[in-house]
Amino acid sequence: MILSSSYLLSLTTFIYLGAAALYLIHWIFRVKRVGALAFFVTIVGFIVQTLGLALRWRESYQLGYGHAPLSNFYESLVIFAWITILVYIYIEWKTKRRVIGAFATPFASLAMAYASFSPNVEDTIQPLIPALQSNWLLAHVVTCFLGYASFAVACGLGIMYLMRGTEKGSRNPLLMALPENKIIDDLMHQTMVFGFLWLSIGIITGSIWANSAWGTYWSWDPKETWSLITWFIYATALHARFVRGWRGNRIAYLSIFGFASVIFTYFGVNFLLSGLHSYGSQ
Amino acid sequence: MKKSSNENPLWRFITSIKLAVFLLITLAITSIVGTLIPQGESLQSYLEHYGPTLFKIIRALHLNDMYHSWWYVSILGFFTLNLICCSIKRLPFTLALYRKDNLNIDPDKLFRMPFKARWEISSGLDDAKKEAIVKAFSKNAGGITGKRSLSDGTLYLSEKGKWSHWGLYGLHASIIIILIGAIIGIFYGFKGQVMLMEGGITNQAIDPQTGKPIPLGFSLKCNSFNISFYDNGAPKEYRSDLTVIDQGKEVLHKAIRVNSPMSYKGITIYQAYYQAVPRVTLKITTSNGHQKTFSLPTFKKINWPEAALSFGVLQYLPNVHGVPAARVWIDNGAGPAQAIWILKNRAREIKMGPNFYKFLLIDAQERYMTGLQIKKDPGVWVVWLGCTSLIIGFIIVFWVPHRKMWLWIGKNDGKDIVVVSGQSSKNRIQFEKDFRRIKQVLEQHVGERL
Ligand code: HEM
Repeated sequence: MILSSSYLLSLTTFIYLGAAALYLIHWIFRVKRVGALAFFVTIVGFIVQTLGLALRWRESYQLGYGHAPLSNFYESLVIFAWITILVYIYIEWKTKRRVIGAFATPFASLAMAYASFSPNVEDTIQPLIPALQSNWLLAHVVTCFLGYASFAVACGLGIMYLMRGTEKGSRNPLLMALPENKIIDDLMHQTMVFGFLWLSIGIITGSIWANSAWGTYWSWDPKETWSLITWFIYATALHARFVRGWRGNRIAYLSIFGFASVIFTYFGVNFLLSGLHSYGSQ
Repeated sequence: MKKSSNENPLWRFITSIKLAVFLLITLAITSIVGTLIPQGESLQSYLEHYGPTLFKIIRALHLNDMYHSWWYVSILGFFTLNLICCSIKRLPFTLALYRKDNLNIDPDKLFRMPFKARWEISSGLDDAKKEAIVKAFSKNAGGITGKRSLSDGTLYLSEKGKWSHWGLYGLHASIIIILIGAIIGIFYGFKGQVMLMEGGITNQAIDPQTGKPIPLGFSLKCNSFNISFYDNGAPKEYRSDLTVIDQGKEVLHKAIRVNSPMSYKGITIYQAYYQAVPRVTLKITTSNGHQKTFSLPTFKKINWPEAALSFGVLQYLPNVHGVPAARVWIDNGAGPAQAIWILKNRAREIKMGPNFYKFLLIDAQERYMTGLQIKKDPGVWVVWLGCTSLIIGFIIVFWVPHRKMWLWIGKNDGKDIVVVSGQSSKNRIQFEKDFRRIKQVLEQHVGERL
């Protein structure tokens, strides 16, 4: 068997789908062991994916291109999944709440499945065109995706919060298995703060890069503008805590809106609008 | 923050965080418009694409350049005003927090802190023991920053990160710093474009918006332009080899690429694009006794008055049946103009009116014209400064706590007591751990459980 990066990355897709299924089973049937297994599977998937990414990096050198696996739409989806899992592993390790996995790992699984199976996503290793040949590429993509991945988790927490609702009387055992609202709210806020920091750094590194490539740090192209819109939404969420009456529910909605904006910045702009970041339209 | 009822309602409005939230949402929503409508196209194209009714709205609201429109800039201005006023309003509170002498506290109040422990030492404390306790506290709390002797004991304070209350100002000010940087760029900088043939030289750039020339203050020469490709045909590198000539002297020689510009006297030169420009060498012989060889680029109309002829190259193809070919446009005033294809080294003759013209394509070469972006932006460093302080400010606001720990060694009803208490403005979980450790260490020194 020839171990190739595309083999490892397809394998990752199935492992993550399995992990997401296990987390859901763990939540719905509340079997402790399944939760532990889900975590184990996630870690295995993460390791396989890391190897796959490293291998892809090496393969690009063998092809004579030599660049980090961050240069096209396929690779960005893989990185998104990788970082989402990384952020989630950290949260599970910190909070020991496995239920969150049922709301976080599906994002990574879906991204991988889309990357692997969609006919629209070209997965060959391509050389870097001149505009992408910059050390800022790595910094920009990794920081942006750290932000996006945190927002994905925050969105999962937001959905969880809204599902759980505010009434204390609920007897639905599915909902009772979720952490209390206060804990979800707190985690949601923390992941949004973390994501906001990385999104800010991502926008800044992008500006520095644009400035060295084109001599303009901000040109209001649709992708830039949408990242700024996303940034405004999360800035709203951070400030809303200080406005009376803006508690839990509204912040949860904002985390979902915010992530919708992330998705649009990431996919919608590529497919629906035109601009400099024509990553996906290739 | 306290609300005073005698506050001016306008001031209360302009300093409210509710307004900030409203403006942030407004900015988010309005910004969408400019991503749906392409920006900066010609007015004609909007009219064609959107029809007369929508076109009127686009014109009225400047939606063709909306991020620089009066109303969008006004929202940004209002937002900035809100931010500044909000900071001003908070200033006295932050100052009070910063100036507050945390040693000036009644030891009895220490027990109302969120974290605390208290021991009563029945056997009494001698000086050596007291010193050991203070030392242990100092070591584990990260140093003692203040000490106050009272009639019935001594209060020690270990305080860290008091300055972190200013982080929020740094964060909010950084937004304003970035805007100032952008404004400096608008007023004291410029952006221009230069198209240079290989071997060409210029001392000015063209403003892409107005088409007006901008003097550079030096000359720029393009020695060569190179483009290379990967095996799969994707472009690999665009490179312009440039020389800067200042007051007749060659002062700088550098090859620039995309992502690797060069700077001279505060002006930065970027590789932006390129254009292949064929140059065609054409020999024309006319039946009225003229003959001449021309070397001309495409799309340039040449007048040849002696022969009463105008012509130009409309199109060039490097390979037609294995040889280069050019499509030439010809007009001699007699009858309609004509366009003919000429292959290299194959003479072609046409008749127009009374005369015959023989065309011979001697040679054709692709030459390159490099497209350079020229920029001067003295504000860019201010923008980077703002960005840096934004990130540092954010980290301070969320992760640098102001933490205070007190140690009181005193007397209560004639008995020796030791009290330790603490407070942290953020990251309670870490503080809880730290406090627990201090408690354990002190317990050992006090030699008594509480
Ligand atoms: C896009 C620009 C802005 C950014 C990135 C920003 C960022 C932040 C952040 C991160 C916090 C800390 C929130 C927390 O502690 O949870 C904060 C707090 C705050 N912001 Fe902003 N802010 C912005 C605009 C504004 C504006 C326009 C105002 C004007 C009213 C404002 C007023 C405040 C106030 C008063 C607080 C402190 C709340 C408190 O601790 O009592 N901010 N801001």
